[in-house]
Amino acid sequence: MRIMKNLQNFLLDQDYYIDIFNNCLHVYYYESLISLSDKLIELKLKEFTLIIEGNDLIVSAMDNHEILVKGIINNVRFVR
Amino acid sequence: MKHYVKIRINTTKKSDILLKLNRINVDIRNVIYHKDYLVMDILYDDIKRVKKYLISYKLEIVDETGIYKVKSSLKKNMLFIVSIIFGIIVFMILSNVIVKVNVIHESRELREIITDALKDRGVMPLTFKKSYQEYENIITEIKNSYKDKLEWLEIDVDGMVINVRVEERIINNYDKETGYCHIVAAKSGIVKYVYTQRGVQEVQINDYVNKDDILISGEIKLYDEVKNNVCASGEVKGEVWYNVKTSFPLNYEEVNKTGKMRYNFMVKTSAQEYVVLKSRVLDKVVENVLLFKIFGMEFYIQKEYEVEKNKKKYTEDEALKKAINIVHEKFVVKGAKIEDIINEKVLKKNINNDNLDIEMFVAIIEQIGIKKNYELEMDSGTDDKDNNGGNNGVN
Repeated sequence: MRIMKNLQNFLLDQDYYIDIFNNCLHVYYYESLISLSDKLIELKLKEFTLIIEGNDLIVSAMDNHEILVKGIINNVRFVR
Repeated sequence: MKHYVKIRINTTKKSDILLKLNRINVDIRNVIYHKDYLVMDILYDDIKRVKKYLISYKLEIVDETGIYKVKSSLKKNMLFIVSIIFGIIVFMILSNVIVKVNVIHESRELREIITDALKDRGVMPLTFKKSYQEYENIITEIKNSYKDKLEWLEIDVDGMVINVRVEERIINNYDKETGYCHIVAAKSGIVKYVYTQRGVQEVQINDYVNKDDILISGEIKLYDEVKNNVCASGEVKGEVWYNVKTSFPLNYEEVNKTGKMRYNFMVKTSAQEYVVLKSRVLDKVVENVLLFKIFGMEFYIQKEYEVEKNKKKYTEDEALKKAINIVHEKFVVKGAKIEDIINEKVLKKNINNDNLDIEMFVAIIEQIGIKKNYELEMDSGTDDKDNNGGNNGVN
């Protein structure tokens, strides 16, 4: 899956990639994790800050430029 | 391949831990939140770094992942796995080894011949078993080599023992039967059945015959003149009377199981039986259950049932019935059947020293005809007469 995404990213030449599916939010190429709690997660991306609000939010997987968040997502905002 | 390990970090501030791990660029996967701890997969190479930065948290490796998990469990159970493999190899070797070759036949000579023939073909103790086809070929070869001696040969593989069953070829030559014989009475009695195959029947049903009386004669006569001599054959049954005495003890021990049972082990070799543990029951009856056989030895589990022995005494009637049964058994042992007994009566009975002594009359139908050879009288006058008679007859 990661190979496919890397390939997709390479081909499309995008700075970031966000997808949402089944109470999961996957962010590819974030710059930093600003804050983390079970109700709020803030991620710094290249052009904006991504704010994820919800309940029982958990980080299922994470590395220095990719994160997978699970839980009940109520709101996703972009702050520029 | 990246080497991930599953770790457990004890904390209630899970978000803080994850933020810290993010700060130090540690890759984490499969994060599972528990009430007081977090479980996650991290790279084995990152552990040192994580321990260094999360110094105040208790961190422990709980498991390996992927191929490393398989490797680790193999390493942990190495002794067990090696033992199992070794056991399987030993079992396979042992189950394919012959420990005994039994040639089953009453003739020692034939047994030796077959044993040698099998040895020449590699079937002997402490060698490997052969395939079904190889045994079939060996059977054919041996049968061809000893055509005049063997009727039938079978190789039966019973675990580590090879049983060879042999049937000897018996060449019957009835034409060579020589000599002349009568069927005579082996004992006195009343004739009840006569079947004449060869010879002249001399007695009728219900005739009383004495011992050595001729029942079927080998002499073929015409008008009292012996025309030919044969070896008489046939069957004669007669009613024979017997006076039988027997004695039966009135006292006996009744054996009852108490319900107490103890286990023991027993090893049986061809020569002896060894009971492994000291018996914990004084008076007992034993039941053996075969566990397994190996190297010609049989291992049994023994059930020792405790019994209680009570001294009892038969009544006269009971003892009489038992004594009559003993008499019947005596006839059965001699080859008679109970239904052959046509009449019986107790002639005398008296009790002596706690024994019931009886005398019985028994009438039984049994074989009374036996062969008895006889020689021809080499009298020249008789020969001439015979010859003349023969010629007269022909002419």
